[in-house]
Amino acid sequence: MKIISCIKPVPDPASRLVINETKTWIKDQDLTFVASEADNYALEEALRLKEKHGGEVVVISMGGEEAARVLRSGLAMGADRAIHLFDEKFKGADEFAAAEALAEAIRKDGGADLILTGVQSDDLGTGMTGVMLAEFLGIGHATVVVGVEANPDAKTLRAKRELEGGMNETVELPVPALLTIQFGINQPRYASLKGIMAAKKKEMKVLAAADLGLADHQVGRAGAMYEVKEVLIPERKSRVEILTGTPEEAAAKLVEKLRKEAKVL
Amino acid sequence: MIFVIAEHNNGRPKPITNELLVAAQRVSREFGQPVTAIVLGENTAAVADDLKSRKIDRVIRIDDPNLAQYSPDTYVTALNGLLADEKPFLVIAGHTTQGYDFAPRLAVKLRRPLIAGMVDFEKHGDRLILTRQIFNAKMNMKTAVRGEAPYLATASPGAFPGDEVEGGGNAEVVSYAAQLEGPSTRKVVDRAEAQKGQADLSSAPIIISGGRGLKQKENFQVIFDLAQSIGGSVGASRPVVDAEWLPREYQIGSSGQTVSPRLYIAVGISGAIQHLVGMQTSRCIVAINKDAEAPIFKVAHYGIVDDLFKVLPALTKIFNDLKAGS
Ligand SMILES: Cc1cc2nc3c(=O)[nH]c(=O)nc-3n(C[C@H](O)[C@H](O)[C@H](O)COP(=O)(O)OP(=O)(O)OC[C@H]3O[C@@H](n4cnc5c(N)ncnc54)[C@H](O)[C@@H]3O)c2cc1C
Repeated sequence: MKIISCIKPVPDPASRLVINETKTWIKDQDLTFVASEADNYALEEALRLKEKHGGEVVVISMGGEEAARVLRSGLAMGADRAIHLFDEKFKGADEFAAAEALAEAIRKDGGADLILTGVQSDDLGTGMTGVMLAEFLGIGHATVVVGVEANPDAKTLRAKRELEGGMNETVELPVPALLTIQFGINQPRYASLKGIMAAKKKEMKVLAAADLGLADHQVGRAGAMYEVKEVLIPERKSRVEILTGTPEEAAAKLVEKLRKEAKVL
Repeated sequence: MIFVIAEHNNGRPKPITNELLVAAQRVSREFGQPVTAIVLGENTAAVADDLKSRKIDRVIRIDDPNLAQYSPDTYVTALNGLLADEKPFLVIAGHTTQGYDFAPRLAVKLRRPLIAGMVDFEKHGDRLILTRQIFNAKMNMKTAVRGEAPYLATASPGAFPGDEVEGGGNAEVVSYAAQLEGPSTRKVVDRAEAQKGQADLSSAPIIISGGRGLKQKENFQVIFDLAQSIGGSVGASRPVVDAEWLPREYQIGSSGQTVSPRLYIAVGISGAIQHLVGMQTSRCIVAINKDAEAPIFKVAHYGIVDDLFKVLPALTKIFNDLKAGS
């Protein structure tokens, strides 16, 4: 089974995010990038499926040096090879443009039996790119997946989706298929030292927009379906009363408020 | 025209449908576009009948045995045909396990913009600006859709108050025949309640909830200590459960339990919308977080902006002293 696992580089969750001068994104020059959290769950699931059914795991990412970095981590975790979509022209892509570029790259690589993405990214967090990618490739998909059962002989797979209100739904779909993997489906492994060493010898294919046969108006900002008008910290229209002082003072004030004002204790 | 893709079960609209209608009615007021509710399913008469009393123009029923159960391919085929015939201005679905499962496919098929997770909108001239949350609700992003209509959006659950839906209507109900190629290639083989554990928090009067800010499993003891001193129950945000610090049954939020205690203390929880929908109706909400900009403070009544590892022991001590003294 050939499995492709998509990884998006996002700022390390521990970083302090500051909005840029044009108020269209964050200042990302000096940040450290890591794989978006849900993508780690997706890659772990891909590696487990390969361990069970055989085949190969290919990691793919779009972006600058930060994408190469998350791909190297993916190789160190155990992926067999990597595809890096690397071109100035990819900059400013929205979910739509990203999905179209990923679809072309996957086609160029001969497709896959299974494509996995995280349920949503830690930055835009819309959960759209994976589903769009499935439509671009003309294959079936399932979102918010908390369990995968592949059946390579029958050319089908079963995916358990997590629905609202504590319900789960198991769906069966033909392969090739794309699944967006929910947080918590497994416990992602860490790269071993041996894995990190082995990763250095693994293949990393670099593809530019022209390699994908995509015109300038289809990629990056030009290919995006929407324009970012403004990124802002939302105004806190709230009722919150912040209790100040040393931790002990604040705690004492809080207890007082809860007992005398809110009367909930 | 503004289309709302109604979600329903057992012959009734789900609560999210009212939220979508509120979003649509608000956009309608600004842009002077009438609202139409779209109901896909097998026997949608009862749902359509329910919806027509809202202040909207029309209800379109798309009845087909192949739509009896939601599936993305049949939904996309049916809606693709309808949109080509009707040419709406905006199509709003829920940012739900149904909406974000089909809307992105529809957007690609139409090659039209989709803004996912909309929480607000604005009118700039005659342009539609949609706002959504990014970086787990730390920031908002305002986006302008490009090109010609239709534009697609999924609305975040909880962003538009469903109880403000305008009623008093008597909308026309019409039927639309979808041109489906057959049943979905994605078959539902099972639908079941996820495993439930011991911790039923739905009637707990006091909940102390811990999040990723606790950093590691062992540290969760400070939450248990505080809960014990107040006489409350323990809850958690999703990452705590994903990392297996606590069993799934402790999780509060859209994919966990919905709670409404008298007192909810959120400790080291940022306040992502999926968490908020599970606890924001609590009578009194306290947030303890070292980041003053954390969105949890938007729903909190009282807040302490400081290191939880300093604040919690201090709180626990006060409650223990009170107990000892009384
Ligand atoms: C389909 C789907 C369903 C989901 N369902 C749920 C759900 O049911 N429930 C849920 O909770 N989430 C759910 N999520 C996840 C949700 O989007 C958020 O990722 C999650 O709620 C974040 O959890 P958190 O606030 O604990 O972690 P974070 O967002 O990482 O926040 C940690 C907070 O701790 C604070 N902190 C760190 N250290 C300290 C310290 N020493 N002292 C004080 N404060 C500190 C930080 O400032 C930060 O605000 C779902 C996501 C998806 C995609």
